[in-house]
Amino acid sequence: MSVLTPDHKMKLPGGPALQTLRQQAAGAYARTGLPGKRDEDWKYTDISRMTAALGESWWLTSETSTATDTNNLATIDAVDGYKMIFMDGRFEAQQSNLPSGVQLLPLSELLAKDDSKSAHCLFKLDESAPLFNGLLAANSALATDGLCACIGDGVQLDKPLYVVHVGNNTAHTLNGLMLGKGAKATLIEHFIGTDSDTAALSNIATYLRLAENSALTHYRLQLESDKQFHIGRVEVKQARDSRYTLHAVELGSALSRADIVVDLAETGASCALNGLFVASGRQHIDHHTRIDHNAPHCRSRENYRTVLDGRSHAVFNGKIVVAEGAIKTDSAQSNGNLLLSKNAEIDTKPELEIYNDDVKCAHGVTVGQLDKNQLFYLKSRGLSEEEARQLLTFAFADEILVAMDIKAVRSFIEKEAFAKLPNMSDLEGMLT
Amino acid sequence: MKQTDLWKSASKAQWDKGMTMIKIENLHASVDGKKILKGINLEIGAGEIHAIMGPNGSGKSTLSNIIAGRDGYEVTAGSITYKGKDLLDMEPEERAWEGVFLAFQYPVEIPGVNNTYMLKAGVNAKRKHQGEQELDAIDFMQLVKAKAKLVELDQSFLSRGVNEGFSGGEKKRNEIFQMAVLEPSLALLDETDSGLDIDALRIVANGVNHLRREDRSIIMVTHYQRLLDYIEPDFVHVLADGQILKSGDKSLALELESRGYDWVKEEEADRIKAA
Repeated sequence: MSVLTPDHKMKLPGGPALQTLRQQAAGAYARTGLPGKRDEDWKYTDISRMTAALGESWWLTSETSTATDTNNLATIDAVDGYKMIFMDGRFEAQQSNLPSGVQLLPLSELLAKDDSKSAHCLFKLDESAPLFNGLLAANSALATDGLCACIGDGVQLDKPLYVVHVGNNTAHTLNGLMLGKGAKATLIEHFIGTDSDTAALSNIATYLRLAENSALTHYRLQLESDKQFHIGRVEVKQARDSRYTLHAVELGSALSRADIVVDLAETGASCALNGLFVASGRQHIDHHTRIDHNAPHCRSRENYRTVLDGRSHAVFNGKIVVAEGAIKTDSAQSNGNLLLSKNAEIDTKPELEIYNDDVKCAHGVTVGQLDKNQLFYLKSRGLSEEEARQLLTFAFADEILVAMDIKAVRSFIEKEAFAKLPNMSDLEGMLT
Repeated sequence: MKQTDLWKSASKAQWDKGMTMIKIENLHASVDGKKILKGINLEIGAGEIHAIMGPNGSGKSTLSNIIAGRDGYEVTAGSITYKGKDLLDMEPEERAWEGVFLAFQYPVEIPGVNNTYMLKAGVNAKRKHQGEQELDAIDFMQLVKAKAKLVELDQSFLSRGVNEGFSGGEKKRNEIFQMAVLEPSLALLDETDSGLDIDALRIVANGVNHLRREDRSIIMVTHYQRLLDYIEPDFVHVLADGQILKSGDKSLALELESRGYDWVKEEEADRIKAA
């Protein structure tokens, strides 16, 4: 079905101008439909697994919303931050304490103000954007809530924005965060599920704008339940000398796909994308990253690791495009994959498109099992085969986590990640 | 006395000075179908230090690796008996629990695995195997700090990844440090002197000399005589073409240093001719 028909009970917020944008997005969806195997960017990710579970009208939110005990969510309690909770895509005001001196509103409240046009840019689709697809169009057509924040010029946020998205019902969520000149902030997006047995979709788009000399550290932690489907898009636009760091962790959901699109638009901008997937069972995890070097003297770093067990399947596609004028580009990409089971599968593809000669671009991919020499070394010191394997697996993945500067997040992710793998207990003091 | 205690004290007494620690009989081994060891016979008593010298490709490292249990070596004939047990029947970690230690020629780097954590896991696995109580974190740190001093290893190395970013000399010192912590009955030092400058060599040798005990045997595999200036062996063996061609005391090492290995091979050839 290629026509998005919102549920009659689902009132889509926004004034007439916004409704026009929604209709345009619905039109874009009608033309493109869901991505399929014919799309090169979706060759290894079969979205029909989602439609099979959610049905023809996959975008609809179920009417019977299950009540969730909000006091009992698997949030990271040790994080000292400005916490906001979105329950099935709806902002829960009473749960959240908002910082002063920073403009911050849930999208739903912003849209409720008739004269507010500031949210409109979030809904305006650019169909020529890299990795554009029908799911993103559906997000624009149907999004009802999300986080909208604006960190003013020179504001250094003292604590991270900790945004928890609880998904046990289908939700289309649209987030926007702007950092003013010289501003500095940390955003933690934490996607969690509940024990609900019903399949649902989290369709999340996050737009980030970094003004001159601003710095954003972005944690994107996907730990939804194994019945959940997760579709994400992160779009970053960076002005002169801005710095963006992403820590993307994929542990949950049945099928999770994220498109990370970074535009290094002005001189001296830099980004670092760190990714860790730990998958088991029949999980499917796919990240397509796209970094555009559109200006001179920009720097990009990308380091993704996957640990795959059972029959899990991961996809990593890292595309880097260096424009003609982007001289003195400095780019490095690395992707390591550890297959713990012979039934696990990784499809990995670095893609470099370089249109000038004055660049430094390195990339490397490894796919394999644990290193035999390292295993023997540990065993020769008295560690059992199983212990040695655990330790090496942990160390392999932890190379991504050491880059995290919030200790509470790191140790939370370490515990969650290795609880998924067989016999990964007693991790205290295991690491450097 | 309980029966287990009796057994334990008996087993301890068994490996005192003069008793056989390891006995290698007619050992033949191949790598990828190529014969490397062609009938090694060697018996080492408790408390003894043996040096195995020989030219490149003679099979020295193969012998250490087979004793430690590394994959990829096929033993085609012969046996190794260690403390009265069939060594070749044990997994590498079981050998470690029984007191075998290999100081690697090329210690691997294991980024992300904490040096101290690895050792604590190793020590406690061994203690558990021997029916002793596992060490807690505090006791273990005390042990480790004392042993680090022995090889003048900076304490910052303890919390780093195993050999991660260590220089060649630091890696070798780390090996001897690990030996000190794991307290083996049989230590194999595989080319421990290679890549060391004279100061590092002295430190490493000092560490080893401190670890000499009546119930501990040491096999040093080396190219060069200079290590033996610092660690004095009881016996020296010449390994060439997969066989031990000559054995003697430390004066043999000096002779090898001045005359090279060829005369040993010629002597052997003459001996075969005469027979």
